[in-house]
Amino acid sequence: MPGTPQSLTLIAVPESLAPVTEFVRKGAREADLPELRIREIELLIEEILVNISRYSYPEGAPGTVAVTYSVPKPGEMEIEVADQGVEFDPLAADPPDLTLDLSQRPVGGLGIFLLKSFASSLNYRRHLGWNRLSFGISANP
Amino acid sequence: MTIDCIEIGGKVVLHVVGRMDAESAPQFEGQCDSCISEGTTSLIVDLGDLSYVSSMGLRSFVGIAQKLKNKGGELRICRLTGLVRQVFEITRLNQVFPMYESVESAVLGG
Repeated sequence: MPGTPQSLTLIAVPESLAPVTEFVRKGAREADLPELRIREIELLIEEILVNISRYSYPEGAPGTVAVTYSVPKPGEMEIEVADQGVEFDPLAADPPDLTLDLSQRPVGGLGIFLLKSFASSLNYRRHLGWNRLSFGISANP
Repeated sequence: MTIDCIEIGGKVVLHVVGRMDAESAPQFEGQCDSCISEGTTSLIVDLGDLSYVSSMGLRSFVGIAQKLKNKGGELRICRLTGLVRQVFEITRLNQVFPMYESVESAVLGG
């Protein structure tokens, strides 16, 4: 039924990226999103899941990650990624300095920037011990 | 992701096909490191058939380019397309690496 949220809960480890990607691809096809938008969703999901699997839980003791999507109407998709790890608001992260030349550029630090750049909307809230990061993607941003 | 390594005009060209994500980026980095350990100081990376790159892939590009620069060489990138082009442009990495529209122009350099 259109609009009914679909959820998938897995352990927050790198190996969960493939099933989560397949899960959101299914939703993106339901939303009738073009292939380029679907790849953007995959990119955002990877950036979020990599962060959670690396930093959210203590090393060697991964917790869960819950991914929920909904298709409010054709051409639009909303996705929430939730974890119970350490509180972290990616929206509060400092932007990277994109003017630095090669020798000064840090090798990392671009994931959250990509997230902010590609999402049509992006929200974070900490609620009852959960980090809840949600974003929207539209066929016509 | 698959990587074909060929030599054109005395330059090493890596043709990267598929997706470069958290899982496959170390494979690319490993291939580049092998070339560097064999004495290569400049690499050309053909991304015309790469459909996806995440920040983990970008991390590899920056790290390899810095290693090459320290050896007096450089990482040249050519044939960006689609999402990969978007990602390089948004992060302004297209202004950090020498970029080319074709393998031939990347080999010639300049």
